Amino acid sequence: MADSTPEQSSPSFGKLLFKFFTSFKLATIVLVLMTIVTLFGTLAQVEDGLHSAKVQYFHSWFIADSMGGLPILLPGGLLLMLILFVNMTLGALIKVKKRWKGAGLLISHFGMLMLLAGGFVTWAFSTDGYMAMYPGMSSNRVESYRNWQLEVMPLTEDGKGEKAWILPSDELQSIKSNESRSYESPELPFTIVVNGFTKNATPIPVSAPIAANAPGKEIDGFKLSPQKPSKEAEQNLPGAYVEFRPEGGGDPVEAILWAGSFRFDPRENPMPFTFEVDGKKYGALLAKKSWTVPFEVQLDEFIFERHPGIATARNYESRVTRFEEGQPEKALEIKMNEPMRYMGYTFFQESFGPSGSQPGDEMFSQFAVANNPADQWPLYALIVTGVGLGVHFTIMLISFTTRSRKKAPAPTS
Amino acid sequence: MKLRLLLLPLIALLSSGAAHARELPKTILPSYEPWDAEVVSTFENLLIQDGGRVKPLYTFARFTLLQFSGKTTASFQTADGVDHKLHYSEWLLNVLFQGKVAKDLPVFVVDDSAAVVQIGVSPKKKRDRYSYNEIVTGRAKLAELSAQYAEKQRQYEQSEKDPQYELDRIEGMILTLGRNISSFEYLIGQFGFARKGDVLVNENILPEELKQLARNLNVVEMLDRMPEMTVEQLVQTIRQQPGASEDERMFSGALRLFFFHANSARGVNLFPPQDKDNEVWLSAGDVLLKGLESKEDRPWATEQLSDLQALVDARNESPEAFSRELASFAEKQHSISDPRGEGVYSDLEVQLYRGKYFSNSLLVFIVAFVVMAFSWLAPGSKVGKILIIAAAVLALVGLALNIYGITLRSIIRQRPPITNLYDTVLFITASAVFLGLFIELFTRIGIGTLVAIVSGVLGMFLSMKYEAKEATDTITQLVAVLDTNFWLATHVTIINIGYAAGLVAAIIGVLYLAIRFILTMFGKEAKDFYRVLTRMSYGVICFCLFFSLVGTVLGGIWANYSWGRFWGWDPKENGALMICLWTLVILHGRMAGWIREIGVHMNAIILAIITTFSWWGVNNLGVGLHSYGFTEGVWGALYSSWAILGIFMLMGVFLWFEERGKKAARKDSQKISKKAVA
Repeated sequence: MADSTPEQSSPSFGKLLFKFFTSFKLATIVLVLMTIVTLFGTLAQVEDGLHSAKVQYFHSWFIADSMGGLPILLPGGLLLMLILFVNMTLGALIKVKKRWKGAGLLISHFGMLMLLAGGFVTWAFSTDGYMAMYPGMSSNRVESYRNWQLEVMPLTEDGKGEKAWILPSDELQSIKSNESRSYESPELPFTIVVNGFTKNATPIPVSAPIAANAPGKEIDGFKLSPQKPSKEAEQNLPGAYVEFRPEGGGDPVEAILWAGSFRFDPRENPMPFTFEVDGKKYGALLAKKSWTVPFEVQLDEFIFERHPGIATARNYESRVTRFEEGQPEKALEIKMNEPMRYMGYTFFQESFGPSGSQPGDEMFSQFAVANNPADQWPLYALIVTGVGLGVHFTIMLISFTTRSRKKAPAPTS
Repeated sequence: MKLRLLLLPLIALLSSGAAHARELPKTILPSYEPWDAEVVSTFENLLIQDGGRVKPLYTFARFTLLQFSGKTTASFQTADGVDHKLHYSEWLLNVLFQGKVAKDLPVFVVDDSAAVVQIGVSPKKKRDRYSYNEIVTGRAKLAELSAQYAEKQRQYEQSEKDPQYELDRIEGMILTLGRNISSFEYLIGQFGFARKGDVLVNENILPEELKQLARNLNVVEMLDRMPEMTVEQLVQTIRQQPGASEDERMFSGALRLFFFHANSARGVNLFPPQDKDNEVWLSAGDVLLKGLESKEDRPWATEQLSDLQALVDARNESPEAFSRELASFAEKQHSISDPRGEGVYSDLEVQLYRGKYFSNSLLVFIVAFVVMAFSWLAPGSKVGKILIIAAAVLALVGLALNIYGITLRSIIRQRPPITNLYDTVLFITASAVFLGLFIELFTRIGIGTLVAIVSGVLGMFLSMKYEAKEATDTITQLVAVLDTNFWLATHVTIINIGYAAGLVAAIIGVLYLAIRFILTMFGKEAKDFYRVLTRMSYGVICFCLFFSLVGTVLGGIWANYSWGRFWGWDPKENGALMICLWTLVILHGRMAGWIREIGVHMNAIILAIITTFSWWGVNNLGVGLHSYGFTEGVWGALYSSWAILGIFMLMGVFLWFEERGKKAARKDSQKISKKAVA
């Protein structure tokens, strides 16, 4: 039997690729995988905490993990969102037939693309940290929640630190516990050697029974005992073995640097490890990564209210004054759900302390400080998507009700 | 005949169950005299500050008894063989003003008798209720064990849920029993200072000479003659050895009694403070200590305590005198609280619970279901149609009762309908019932009504079970982040409508699969009917997507205002995202040609599993920023519901294979006919 269909040229690779990336099948697979990744990423938070699960499942290209003894091998959240973005752009905006009936879908897909793009900008370019202060204090310094850096600085005679040499947090936190890395600075007369960095650790005296199992060497009667990383990544207190080797030879100075020496109350001062090289004093410590904002904020008053007779906080708000060179000072209020937005930075009323404060105790206020270029994108995306879906489903509902009224069969028909 | 044979054991089982249910716990009380209805009514409307808000004693009594007993009535049989069923407010009246009777009422539920055996108390049935006097024989051991388990539980929380500190079932029961007994002792000791030596609890810690002294001591009068001192000074003075003289010993003893009474009378905050700007109400114990600390406050403190004293004295005098004094006490309390703007909606709150809108709503939905079931006996007939309309009307009544209850709750707390997990149950039920009836309005084939009724029965039943499980006031004060009516009214409401739609889609799916499975078993088909159900489901899934997506993004925007980030991959956020994703899977899978009729319904069931995980499961994980919604102990119920849904999924799998088989057979027959033609 002769083949009656006309001969067709095979589609080009580009067309095949376009067909693949615009297909509903690809969209369906990606959406199913995203659901699975979201589920596993949620369950992983129970054991690993939010930050760790977020990095491993959602801010990753591939996932290799295990849960309840079962291996998990999946594409990561980043990869899936990228494919979805391409699929939506090509399929729902470019390839789709442009007709009035599909206007709602077109608009809503555009809104979702805005949302994904906003997510990407946030992930790539936003910064977040916190600023804590007691009433009367002012600051323009924002500290990171989780990123620790190594700071080494010359000290003046009265023990104050001068300009610090900084080993950035990305570099420091990439050092494994059994790895050594050396660093030099023209401003410092010694080489800094980091002999292992531990994400969460506690210094213990060697006389303690558990010290026998702790890896690392003994320094001044102490060892660094690694701890299981906390579920709340902010709670981790890292530690590192650091060596300072004088350039001109001589005995190196060894130290255990531990994040616990940093301050955790805005009134405390950090306690650096101090040492001498060539007769000059130096200090070294693990400090939270910090940066400044182009204006200063002073906390004038912190108001904290509880519901009568119970410990639940009803309201906490901060009265602040914002100072900026060349600008008049401005008194403002920052409270839950009412942040202060200024110059691209947003100050949120985040929490308060010290922990265990009782009514009447002096308390500090803590602001979350975020700088996100895509801060308001979700709102715009929501409006666009909402309008799109509203239009589409209204058309569908009208069609459904019209058809249902016309034809309503009984189950036994 | 066969049916009767099958039904006989069931009837026997039910009647034995009913007989079993009638058997009330026995008490040693010879008889019981109920309280006068007017007294109970006045008592219910008294105000108390509890859980951060001023509420009627009616509410306090309800949740206290629910916490002790697992139900809101105290049922028992007195020695004269008479059965009694006390309402919670009557029970609390006994506790506060007739303690000796209250101590013999079996209200402390113990789910496993092994728990009482461990504290040295004679066990009754495996699950039973005990009176205080039955438990008190093991009081010392109970105190010891519950302190031990409380510490273990604290370590469990501190160690981020290290399994070695997790309480086992019996330990948990002992801890709960210990806490309940302790709360009961505080309640019963409230007016001890006014009972003149009639010490109802902890009398063993008082030496005989103090018991003697207590009979002659008027604490209120004593307060006026005491030197001004702080609580710390009082404690220090008590700790010192008394002097040798009779007066010194008497004074020391009186101070100890004063401290004993003040300490026993904490927790029931019936007195609005003197200071208008102060929001914290005081208990009788607080008033005693306030009077002790400042002579300036004594006239006020004495006045408050004298009112209570008069109430207790009147109780001993006559029912009429007690009724009079109670009314006077209530009037005075309201005259102070009303201008302060506190307890303004207490009448509505009493109405809310007295009206039993939610349990009545359940009842109406059950009746509607029965009516609906009768309609299946005459399908397509006029009677059948009338019965469906009747069922729809009943469902509408059930919905109205639910909405009325929700509205009352909103007015009482001056908030949008949803502020906690319990509210979500009521709201989602109302939304699902509304959706079902809305579908019925346009389809008129009874399925929408059935969806509404099933949603109503399941939802209202869940609300009652959850209330009993938590046994705490469901009108709660909000944490600071939730103190925004705008976001509560928008994000929270919209996302819960999305949940409701997800569940409605699943109910339609379950009905589709069950009906099609049964019809297939009998070799019947109803293609048009199936198609209508699929269109229904598809519409509801689209509705679900719209509300879930808008709700989720609104939640992100709220999070951006309060926590400084739009999206944080928090479990609750992820739950909402998964609902959006799965609805998109269904819609895109359908466009891809992978999901057809059966597929839509099976996926709607998966959507329900995801929705229930998002609604309840993530709250049980105990991680994330939505800590105000955390709950515990729901996995069992969730797994059971998923297992039930799994059965319908299996039906779907069967139907899918069956349909595939039919298609393959059709293709084969077409090929054969083509060959034959060729």
